[in-house]
Amino acid sequence: MENIEVIVLVLGFITLLAIGVPVAYSVGLASLVTILINIDTMPAFTTIAQRMATGLDSFSLLAIPFFILAGQIMNQGGIAHRLIAFAKALVGSFPGGLAYVNIIGAMLFGAISGSAMAAVSAIGGTLGPRMEKEGYEKSYSAAVNIASSTTGLVIPPSNILIVYSLASGGVSIAALFLAGYVPGLLMGLALMFVAYIYAKIKNYPRGEKSSFGQVFTTFVQAFPSLMMLVVVIGGIVVGIFTATEASGIAVLYTFILSLIYRELTVEKIRQIAISSVGTTAVVALLIACSMSMSWVMAYADIPQAVTAGLLSISNNPWVILLLINLLLLAVGIFMDMTPAVLIFTPIFLPVVTAIGIDPVHFGIIMVMNLCIGLCTPPVGSVLFVGIGVAGISLDKVIKPLIPLFIAMIVVLILVTYVPKLSLWLPGMFE
Amino acid sequence: MRNKIDQTLEYVLSLLLGLMVLNVLWQVASRYLLNDPSAFTDELSRYLLIWVGLLGAAYASGKGMHVAIELLERALSEKQKRFQKLTIQVIITVFSILVLTVGGTRLVLISFELGQTSSAMQLPLGYVYLSLPLSGLLIAYYSLSDFIHLLKKN
Repeated sequence: MENIEVIVLVLGFITLLAIGVPVAYSVGLASLVTILINIDTMPAFTTIAQRMATGLDSFSLLAIPFFILAGQIMNQGGIAHRLIAFAKALVGSFPGGLAYVNIIGAMLFGAISGSAMAAVSAIGGTLGPRMEKEGYEKSYSAAVNIASSTTGLVIPPSNILIVYSLASGGVSIAALFLAGYVPGLLMGLALMFVAYIYAKIKNYPRGEKSSFGQVFTTFVQAFPSLMMLVVVIGGIVVGIFTATEASGIAVLYTFILSLIYRELTVEKIRQIAISSVGTTAVVALLIACSMSMSWVMAYADIPQAVTAGLLSISNNPWVILLLINLLLLAVGIFMDMTPAVLIFTPIFLPVVTAIGIDPVHFGIIMVMNLCIGLCTPPVGSVLFVGIGVAGISLDKVIKPLIPLFIAMIVVLILVTYVPKLSLWLPGMFE
Repeated sequence: MRNKIDQTLEYVLSLLLGLMVLNVLWQVASRYLLNDPSAFTDELSRYLLIWVGLLGAAYASGKGMHVAIELLERALSEKQKRFQKLTIQVIITVFSILVLTVGGTRLVLISFELGQTSSAMQLPLGYVYLSLPLSGLLIAYYSLSDFIHLLKKN
């Protein structure tokens, strides 16, 4: 019985995707067809509809539109370029320094906005033309921008970790956020190491050296934006407010800051609202449909079957984690991050907790793993925004991306097999 | 007609988004400044998210914002591509009519019949679920209008 359901679900989903039906509708329809095996027609329609609505019925999910909104305000309101100026004063004078500026800028911006899409367009749009002017190859700067913008998904606050918390049935968001710091910084450092080697080989130019005064001035200008991180993360960790409330505060904070910078007009605010609603809605429909698929799979006992299957191969944590990582890498290539987390967390989490892996640690592994998929064709959303911003074709960007992928995979292996990297910081606050 | 609907949706959705932000800020303010945690903000924000999410999904559907895999498209001839696009619009329409509109309407009716209300605001849940058929009808409208547009093109 289970087999029929799995086959219908997987085949239905892949067929719809291949035809070119949007991912969210493919997820929803595949779930519907699968549930029709067991439930009558009318109740099946109603059940899927209800699962979609209740899938969105979560207070933690509210943080997603708010962080998207805060990111948009930062982008339009003059906060992004202040962060970039600070990063430039810090590391711009190294050989190939603009690549470091891009990576650090993306880490700061992605961290604050909680979204890789916001980071890839904001940083790429600002730095890309400047890098081209200074003699960097377009394909290289686009590749660096694409890979580094995913670091912000691991460094808190992060929307996708909130989605994981929901999918895992309530792993602490504060713990997940704290756990993301070290792995996210490691990812940034690994990318900078690749940039260092590139600069050596290609003899990229040094930027002009910034005086201490310049570093200080740009720091003062970026300070209010950086303080937002302290307020948001500090507030969550200390327990003053929840992640959702913190995201609301982030909106208020960036809004006031942009008003002070006098970079917001009524027309800009209108655009910010509309584009935030659009981005939110795309994620929301994915969440609604994925939650119904996840329910359908639970109904068909698929997670239990997968757990039993995986544990019959081995119960060595190293082997299981390797297998899951390989599966997730494959999933990440074909699936967007949000549905992947919502659909596969309930499947894999029982397996990993059975072999003694901390759900917080697993969340970081999963998100880091799927970050790689965001930068790969055919569905890497960050990849496509990145090449769109840079104005180059897909085939050109692949080659310079490969060494960056290798760096990300090395960090993924480290984070997978050294739990301390994720669990040390949240442990400090317990 | 289509522009009118787009504009109305933009207006309504922006308003709801603003309301969501104010609502959560009120939750923090009522707890710390008034020492009297608001009872309704948690519930209200969840229902607002359902409305913004589903109504916004219709808006995004009209704008072609939902992500799809475009591998097949590149391999097809112009004529085949047209057929593919027509097929996709039909599939989206089927989903929006069957699940969102029919399933959603049934859900609304059942909730009203059973008199289900939310715990804090005593709001009939039918009003929350009403976003489903509304979104379904709008998605179907957008898809059919795209479908007709594609047909007329040649």
